[in-house]
Amino acid sequence: MRDGIELAHLGRAVVALVTEPFWPQGDLIALSGGMPNVPRLRLPHPVAGTSEASMAELAEQIAPRLIAVLRGDSDPDNPSVEEAS
Amino acid sequence: MALLSANDEPGAIELLHDLGCTDGLPVVIPTLERVARMVLASGLDADVVLGEMGPLGASVTVEKVAANAVMAGCTPDHLPFVLAAIEAILQPEFDLSEVQSTTHSIAPLIIANGPLAAVTGIASGFGALGPGHRANASIGRAVRLCMINIGGARPGTSDMALLGHPGKFTMCLAEAEAASPFPPLATGWGAGASADVVTVVGVEAPHSVMFVNDADSEDSPERLLRVIAGVITNTGSNNLYLRSGSVVVALNPEHAQVLAGAGWNRASISRRLWELATTTTGVLRSLNPAFAPRGDDNDKVHVLDSPDHVLLLVAGAEGLYSAVFPSWSAGAHGNVAVHQMVVTGQACEIPGASNSGVE
Repeated sequence: MRDGIELAHLGRAVVALVTEPFWPQGDLIALSGGMPNVPRLRLPHPVAGTSEASMAELAEQIAPRLIAVLRGDSDPDNPSVEEAS
Repeated sequence: MALLSANDEPGAIELLHDLGCTDGLPVVIPTLERVARMVLASGLDADVVLGEMGPLGASVTVEKVAANAVMAGCTPDHLPFVLAAIEAILQPEFDLSEVQSTTHSIAPLIIANGPLAAVTGIASGFGALGPGHRANASIGRAVRLCMINIGGARPGTSDMALLGHPGKFTMCLAEAEAASPFPPLATGWGAGASADVVTVVGVEAPHSVMFVNDADSEDSPERLLRVIAGVITNTGSNNLYLRSGSVVVALNPEHAQVLAGAGWNRASISRRLWELATTTTGVLRSLNPAFAPRGDDNDKVHVLDSPDHVLLLVAGAEGLYSAVFPSWSAGAHGNVAVHQMVVTGQACEIPGASNSGVE
């Protein structure tokens, strides 16, 4: 999350990948980093310890959507703060 | 700082619990008067900024630290240690945001050196990390409450420790300098032998090390070091797989004397523990292959990066048990120890406040 926020502060298009149990933490870090709407996509948990084949499969699944969000053609998984409130 | 109101102290405690501003135990209510008196003990202005605390990135002021010190039950005499410990963990090398956010159970161990520790009542002997020592309990608790209320660490949303450990409530002690055959720990940081210093390192809960000395056996000191090294090399420890960070070895005074009597000193003990605390690539590969280094199965692997990563202190009472505190071994700086001078010269005396609490 912090890496994404740092890059977003530099004006780069970013998408943070956040696994399910860390979603609330992602919200907090985004808020504290001054970028509550930084785009994020939800990944299944766990990622650590997953085999290379499983990781490749996950990457295949998420990559098209990730690129679409980066291009602004698709919404991220996090609602904007305005929508959420 | 936000100002809350309640009808009475029990109501205020419940309000603080409901807002997630406690560690789960009742706190002393930080009234304006109590906080002001605690700030006065610092000798600093309330709005002096000590740094930013993650993961929230909130500004850490003297007033905020004082409020949390009040909540923890500190006396004004404790405040210089709380401030020093806070300044220590705010150093970039401590990686506080990551320490707060990790799934590991890491918690700051606060070690006090210098004559002021004893004057302040920070225990170093029997049960120094257990219940019954007000200064130890309150100083460590104040740091934790700052981590909760300023840093924003709350379980499951920002403090992601999967289980945690009781040392996350408080973990503070003094080195048993009077009983130690070695120079104080802080001299390793270049401090004078009588300097007031806190050293803070993120660690797991202590693991007991049982050893019975045989005064008639010449190899008894070496056996003691082998037992300690065996605990450092336990197969569940992050140190084994990440091979970074500091491991704290708390020798009880009797064990310290066993080693000192045989001519060992801080440097040689640390070096020998580094030499002994090894495993093999094959063992790591057989247990957690994702964290095994490249190489042949028989390649020797040092659990610690260097002898400097053994943090040796003398603490506890004389007897059979010393302790090893494994660490997290992660973070950008590798989970290293940080230290800070305890500043008291700027404090002023508060009438009727010394050793009597904040009321």
